[in-house]
Amino acid sequence: MAAGTRPGPRQPPEAEPAAEEPHPPLGRELTEANRFAYAALCAISLSQLFPEPEQSSFCTEFVTGLVRWLALSEAVLPTMTAFTSGLGSEGAELFAQSISKDPALQGSLGAITQDLLSFSLKDRYDARARVLVCHVTSLLQVSLEELDVLEETFLESLKETKEEESEMAEASRKKRETRRKWKRYLLIGLATVGGGTLIGVTGGLAAPLVAAGAATIIGSAGAAALGSAAGIAVMTSLFGAAGAGLTGYKMKKRVGAIEEFTFLPLTEGRQLHITIAITGWLASGKYRTFSAPWSALARSQEQYCLAWEAKYLMELGNALETILSGLANMVAQEALKYTVLSGIVAALTWPASLLSVANIIDNPWGVCLHRSAEVGKHLAHILLSRQQGQRPVTLIGFSLGARVIYFCLQEMARERDCQGIIEDVILLGAPVEGDPKHWEPFQKVVSGRIVNGYSRGDWLLSFVYRTSSVQLHVAGLQPVQLQDRRVENVDLSSVVSGHLDYAKQMDVILKAVGVRTKPGWGEKGLLLAPGGPPQEEPQQAAADKTSRQDGQTQGPAPRDTARASTDPSQAQEPVGPDPSEGASLPAAEGPAGSPPVCSHGVDPNPLGCPDCARETPGPCPGLD
Amino acid sequence: MDEDVLTTLKILIIGESGVGKSSLLLRFTDDTFDPELAATIGVDFKVKTISVDGNKAKLAIWDTAGQERFRTLTPSYYRGAQGVILVYDVTRRDTFVKLDNWLNELETYCTRNDIVNMLVGNKIDKENREVDRNEGLKFARKHSMLFIEASAKTCDGVQCAFEELVEKIIQTPGLWESENQNKGVKLSHMEESHGGGACGGYCSVL
Repeated sequence: MAAGTRPGPRQPPEAEPAAEEPHPPLGRELTEANRFAYAALCAISLSQLFPEPEQSSFCTEFVTGLVRWLALSEAVLPTMTAFTSGLGSEGAELFAQSISKDPALQGSLGAITQDLLSFSLKDRYDARARVLVCHVTSLLQVSLEELDVLEETFLESLKETKEEESEMAEASRKKRETRRKWKRYLLIGLATVGGGTLIGVTGGLAAPLVAAGAATIIGSAGAAALGSAAGIAVMTSLFGAAGAGLTGYKMKKRVGAIEEFTFLPLTEGRQLHITIAITGWLASGKYRTFSAPWSALARSQEQYCLAWEAKYLMELGNALETILSGLANMVAQEALKYTVLSGIVAALTWPASLLSVANIIDNPWGVCLHRSAEVGKHLAHILLSRQQGQRPVTLIGFSLGARVIYFCLQEMARERDCQGIIEDVILLGAPVEGDPKHWEPFQKVVSGRIVNGYSRGDWLLSFVYRTSSVQLHVAGLQPVQLQDRRVENVDLSSVVSGHLDYAKQMDVILKAVGVRTKPGWGEKGLLLAPGGPPQEEPQQAAADKTSRQDGQTQGPAPRDTARASTDPSQAQEPVGPDPSEGASLPAAEGPAGSPPVCSHGVDPNPLGCPDCARETPGPCPGLD
Repeated sequence: MDEDVLTTLKILIIGESGVGKSSLLLRFTDDTFDPELAATIGVDFKVKTISVDGNKAKLAIWDTAGQERFRTLTPSYYRGAQGVILVYDVTRRDTFVKLDNWLNELETYCTRNDIVNMLVGNKIDKENREVDRNEGLKFARKHSMLFIEASAKTCDGVQCAFEELVEKIIQTPGLWESENQNKGVKLSHMEESHGGGACGGYCSVL
């Protein structure tokens, strides 16, 4: 499927020269000096990305493996260890330069990314490895788009059947698509892994993807390029031995107080990394489904949204809307926003009209706060059990969905085996403790970015917290002051003026926090409401709702499928919609790449961006 | 243990291929000698703590590969180095002649100009000497470097070479204090405690 939706012209142009002859892993073709530089560059990157002591064994293993992969002498290991422990980092730039001049590459640095990718895939492609690959890719000034192409190519190579095999056999053919060459390289890389000890892990072949992939690999036994054992081992470990992956997950028993917990596919494809989106509340109308707010999300080709506790979330959403309609007057809302913006609001200063309806919200809010914590813990255990395989997972959620993530991370941090599962997390308007000390444990769980998107003017959030003791440290209202390369605080005040905006402005927000959105969404901005999807939305939503209430059945997967396929114009594939987005993508390296601070730049701001209009002094006071 | 270490110094060993850079380092850190030592790949790295004039200094020593094919990588290590040991082989005149190239490279890539250089003539245990001691001395004077002749095989002068170098670095507070400053140590404090003990003038070591 991924193959079908792929637009043609995405092949990296530099790919051609790199893959002219079938050779062992490209890494080994570099000169010895550059192989050394390559390993050193990775070692230095690891030391910068994962300086925590608990990661050191991963770093050492990775580098040791890489040294062998590159056929470098073991004598360099002490030096590499020195690099991984943070010494000599000043050389990184020159190493990268030296590599880029290697004759074997002929100027195509993407080949290094490709080589590193095949190396990581061979052992375990976990979140840390992916963060490293991204980091090195950007150090070499290769676009991350290219990395995506490579990942897809690899996947395709697992999926494609006979026709491809015959082509594989004619390896010497000169006329050949670039993509094919890349693929061959990848497979060769995998084949040279050798070692068939993992072949026992074939339990998951039932899953369609894995089955197809296995057919390719087993069927093409003649094609010398494929080490079948290695191939199968890679697949099963990547995609999870259970095969079916996340959608196949069913809650075996009621866990704690959780009544509903299902993964719904948001997109149709398969990818080497997955994204799970978690909705914070449901409302009547457009946002009555879990997937509705995420229609613009295009971070990965394999995205799920978590359906949880619809009944309660619906209650909450209705309560939120009631409150809003109680204050239908936009002026009153704006006034509230600025009251909140101006600083700490004492309980007394809340308008009487709002306090009078407080009981409407307080109860469902309290219930959902509790349930989201439970759901988060449950999610943690699912991820820890690797239902998704070894693949890196990105979690993104708003409102109570962010709270689910928060508790998921908290729970994972307690387990010993929690590293390398989560790539990025994005919490938007999170009703959770924002004190840095509570976020510290997340460093070892999350390999990539921890994004806290907050809005100082979110009066609804501060209202529901008005009596709570944690009022002063709500993450969704202010930056989390944790000094770590992972943490990024994004001030969304100009986009989000009330809590409900998190769902409504999701496409703008996603861009602001540097997450890829589907092409076409960004420019439209406000069009979100009357756009394409809503047409299907009503009946779809209804279907969704009924099936959900039926109980914890498999989930209305076909529905989403249908939608995805009726929607071919919006090629699921993110084709680098605009340059600004591309620029914000390498943000993984640190705050340098963080997205536009105040989302004014992300216009058009549907609210008319009051911050700009009224020229509030520092539109982004939180980003210091 | 680490607390009483005054500072960590980055030392670089450079020179033509086969002059005995790795052997000097091995002799200094492990006190061993291997006549069949394989050529260094890229760079080798060793740490050793030494005590000079009662001050403990941790040396992070980067031993570069002399072979031409690794030459592109050498500049990566110059940055941030406080001391450089330039090695030549007294039995091979060509390694002495090429010293000029190394000095040029040093000048090009070093980030600081007060870096302490030491010239080491290695392999004095061998019979067929081609470079006279005085020649080396003259060259070192001309380029204001420290100079010593040594033999990694017989252990002659090895310890001394590193000690002199470290001593000289420590006597040049500007070299290593800025490092500490980055870590948040007050500059003034350092000056008070060590400025007094420093020998102000330049001491040529023979």
